[in-house]
Order: sequence, then C-alpha cells, then structure tokens
Amino acid sequence: MRLFIATSIAILSSCLLNSSHALADKGLKIAMEVIERDQGWGDSSSKMTMVLKDKYGQSTQRSLRNSSLEGSSQGDKSLVIFDTPGDVRGTAFLSHTKKTDSDDQWLYLPALKRVKRIASSNKAGPFMGSEFSFEDIASQEIEKYTYKYLREEKYNGVDCFVVQYDPVDRKSGYSVQETWIDKSKYIVLKTEYYDRKKSLLKTLTFDGYKKYKGKFWRADTFLMVNHQTGKETELQYENWIFGKGLSEKDFNKNMLKRVK
Amino acid sequence: MMVRSLLLGIVGVLFAQSAIADGDLNTTVIAEFRSYPNSNAGTIDRGQSLELNVDAYQDFGTSRGVLELVARIDDQDSGRRILEARQAYITTEIGGVEIYIGNRQEFWGKAESINIVDVVNQEDAAADQGGAGKLGAPSVSIERYANYGDLQFWYMPNFRELTFNDADAHPSGELPVKAARYQRSLGRNADDFAFRFSTVVNDWDLAGSLFYGTARKPILSVVDMGTALQPYYAEQRSVGLEAQYTGDATLLKWESLHGKQDGKDFFAAVAGLEYTLYGVLDQVWDLGLIAEAQYDERPQVAAERFYVAGLRLTLNDAKDSSLLLLTSQDEAKDQSLISFDASQRINSWSSIDVGAKFFDAKTPSSVFGFLDDDDTISVKLNMFF
Repeated sequence: MRLFIATSIAILSSCLLNSSHALADKGLKIAMEVIERDQGWGDSSSKMTMVLKDKYGQSTQRSLRNSSLEGSSQGDKSLVIFDTPGDVRGTAFLSHTKKTDSDDQWLYLPALKRVKRIASSNKAGPFMGSEFSFEDIASQEIEKYTYKYLREEKYNGVDCFVVQYDPVDRKSGYSVQETWIDKSKYIVLKTEYYDRKKSLLKTLTFDGYKKYKGKFWRADTFLMVNHQTGKETELQYENWIFGKGLSEKDFNKNMLKRVK
Repeated sequence: MMVRSLLLGIVGVLFAQSAIADGDLNTTVIAEFRSYPNSNAGTIDRGQSLELNVDAYQDFGTSRGVLELVARIDDQDSGRRILEARQAYITTEIGGVEIYIGNRQEFWGKAESINIVDVVNQEDAAADQGGAGKLGAPSVSIERYANYGDLQFWYMPNFRELTFNDADAHPSGELPVKAARYQRSLGRNADDFAFRFSTVVNDWDLAGSLFYGTARKPILSVVDMGTALQPYYAEQRSVGLEAQYTGDATLLKWESLHGKQDGKDFFAAVAGLEYTLYGVLDQVWDLGLIAEAQYDERPQVAAERFYVAGLRLTLNDAKDSSLLLLTSQDEAKDQSLISFDASQRINSWSSIDVGAKFFDAKTPSSVFGFLDDDDTISVKLNMFF
C-alpha cells in the first residue's frame, strides 16, 4: 500500500512536471513563432501621436518620430525624436536593446547639446509621463521572459492562443503578462499586465493591423488602459516605412547631436 | 588658404546636391523676471529680460545648414543684452568624415555640478543660464564616427571673451570691467586647437581630449587702485579625461584636466556619484541623490575644494515636473551656494522654470563674499512656436 502511494505520487508528480514542461514548451514555441514571422524587417520608421487621458477624460498630446534597426546577435536599436510639446522639442531617446543584459540608453538634450547616458534599471518607470513604461516600449526579445501556454480563446471573434509571459528581470514592474496571440497570423492582439502583487494593472490592446512588405504586421493603434488609476494612453502610428537603408551608424550615440 | 579651399569645396558639394530635402524653423520666446533680495545699495534689485531664439536647419542632399540665433533684451543690465549666432554652420560628409564650418556649440563632460573638460565654447556667463548659455565657437571642425568610437578635431581661429554683467547688476564685483589682457601675443586672434576621442565600452562611456589655446575662464584682478576689474586670459595646454559608469541605478562620474596654464602646472578633477530611487513614496516619482567633489588648482576658482550634494526629483507626470536642489560648500566651510531649479510644462506651447541661488561666505574678501549680494530668484516663462 505504501509502495502504491509512493509510486502514485511519483507518477503524478512526473505527469505534473511533464505537463508544466509541455506548457512551457508550447508557450515558448508560440512566442518564438511570433518573433520568427516578424524577422527580416531590417529597418523601419514611423510617426507617432501619443494621447494621454487622465481619469476625468482630460487629454494631452505629444508627437514623436520613431526609427528602429533590427538586431541580429544583439537586440534591436531604436531612436525616438520628440516634436511636441514645445519644451521637449528636439529631445531624442536612443536605446540599444540587449537580449539578456540591461539595455543601453542615452538621452539627447538639445538646449545643452548634451548626450547623457541614463540608467536603464528604471524599466518599470513611465515613458514620457504616459501609461507605457520603458519596458513596454522596448523591443521584445525572446530571452527576456519564460513562457507558459494557458489556453485557447476567442478574442473579438478571432481564435487566439493565450500565453503567459513571465519576465526574467526582477526589476520588471510585472509579475506576469498574459498575451492573446492570433492563431493564424501570430500577432499579438491584447496583453494584460499584472503588477508585483499579482493584481491586474494594465491592459494593452492593438488595433488596425496592416501588412507591410507582404510580411510584417503593424498595428496603427495601441491603447493602454491602467485599471488602477483610470488613466489611459493611446499611441497612433502612421507613415510606416520599411527598408530606408538605416545602418548602425544612425543609431550611434554620437549621432544624437545631429538629430533634427 | 586651407580654409578657403575647403569652403569652396563645400559650396561645390552643396550645389551639386540640389535635391530639396528636409528643413525646419522653430522659434522660442523666453520672458524672465529676476529679483535680487540681498542687493547692496546702488545695485539693481530686479530685472526683466525677453529672449528670442530662432532655430533653423536646411538639408541639401548630404549637406546641412544650421542656424541658432539668440537675441536678448534686458531693461537693466547691458551685460545681458546680446545678439548671438550660437550656431551658424554648414556641414557635409566627405569620405566618412563630417566637416563643419562656422559657429558651433558643443558639450564635453559627464558631471552635474561643473564640467571642467568642456573647453570648446565660451560661456555667456552674464545670461546665467548654466550649460545652455554658451557663445558659438567660430571653428572648422571634423568628426569621424567609427565602430571603435568618435574622433573630433577642432580649429578655432577666433577667441570669444566671457560676458560680464554691469557693475550695478548681478552677479558682479560691483566694479566696471576693463579691456582684457592676453598672455598670447596674438590675443583674440591666436589659434586654439582641440581634439577628442570618445567611446562606449559596455557600461562605461569614456573620452580623452587635448586642448591647446587660450583658457576660457579669465583670471580676474582688481586694478586701478581698486576701481576696476581686469580679465587676464592665460595660455592653456591640457589633457582631459572623462568616464561614466552606468550601473542599474548608480552612475559614477569622473572628469579631470591636467596641464599648464599661465606657465604653471595644474590639476583639476570632479568625481561624482548619482543614485536614483525609483518609484519613491509609492508614486511613479524618481528621486536622484547626487554627490560630487571638485578639486581645482587654478586661480580662477573660489576655492580649491568644493563638495556638492543634491537631490533631483522627477515626478514622471504628464507635465514633466522636475526639481533640482544643489548645495555646494568649500572645504574650509567658509563659502557656500544653495541653488534650486524647478520646471513644469504649462501646455503644449509653454513651460515655466523657477530658480533660486543663494551665496553665503564667512570671509567677506572671499569670492563668495563678493557674491553675497548676488542672491537671485528667477521666474522664466518659455513659449514655443
């Protein structure tokens, strides 16, 4: 009898172990497929309007320009230039994403003509006073999370995988993220962010996906709703251009002072 | 002659690439109200100024023209009145090397409280705008960006003198400033040269620089039986070193300058630490703790050693509210300075800055003793068009 119990426990736990392995494996495969299908975009640029709404519905706007360079051995590089509001006009933010390490980030302050390296441990902090944190706008690298397949579910009538993304970095503002991925296109339609106390913090939904270069899907609207503060931020993208021929040099920190 | 042929070459390139590309023009108007609560009798106790900045650029193929004009009027202080081309240059790229001709503004350095290696530009000290208040450096400069780092070489044929406030304005020594003396016989026309190499190695941003020319900061002396101040611009040769380590929340900063000024060896250095606490008081606020130590053997400084401590509070709100408090004290605990700067956006086209500076000194004959009546409170309204 004792032997029977011991064996049952062993079998049961190995099943559990196996199945949690299997779920992790399936989650990882889906997340990798999302990234794989988006490979080869080279470089991209776009214009963005950021609309911040407080809980009373008061809104403020800022406009900026983005460009990104796809990374191979390292992560992607990206440059953001602010056009409005006036007091940040000409300010630029350069980020070199690392697959596992902290990202390298520099800020260009146009009045001082100063390029300043900034500490990147502030990943949970807000980007430009918005509901997006630095880690939300950083490029998604497969090594930054561990994964778990949760279930299949319809979202807005689309068949989706629901996968849990668990950030590896302890400085992440999130305990986990749950992501709804379109089963046929392998694009993210929705992400729910859970804070460190495991309560729902924010929901990000993507809208208006369009295909560029016959392959790369880009949403034109990102809506982030903060459930705990009632604030929201909408990013509206336009003028996506792929293959402009940008190179490493355009994302060199010393080039920041040339940015206009 | 070399400059002339270079110029002709660049003009040729500009015309060859006539394809119309990007260009933009922006203007900023700054209204400033200043109050001097401790002013001595016979000096002004407040002042107002209005500043217009015009920033424009135009691309022509791979070449670009940049113009940044500053015009400032002031109701009290002629030292603050200026019409300045802070930047007015053309640049083009030839064989992977960028060439710039004209007035430029450049920043070198890593520290917060002072940047001793920042030798390219003269300061528009009368404007009291910190690092943003510079005079354009007339120059021919070349830069090369490579994978191993950034190389710059500067040739500066015309010296710009420091700006001074009127004797009855602030900050000042309450004495008129006489024409400057120069150690180098060519005076303002002596050539200055600078070179810098900067690179990034993982978490380290590093740079080394060389300078030969006229020191930017003059040595001031009281002349004419105590009735006037006279600046003396000495010759300087120096080697500058800069380093910043960027850790998770910790920045370590170093600047040093080693060389000869006025025929005497000197050493100057700033070592600093900045540690940021993220999300303080359960808000999205960031609080930066700043500590810096300054050492300088040159006669231009108020004391050889100064210790600086500060706080930087960033609210990360939709109005980008921020606040910086710095205190500075010499080793003898004689001279001290407390400064405060706060800024907030008002709307999409305007922002407000509030600043204050309080000097204190136990010894009236020390530099800060002279500045004791120059405490300043300022309110700036910035409008962007």
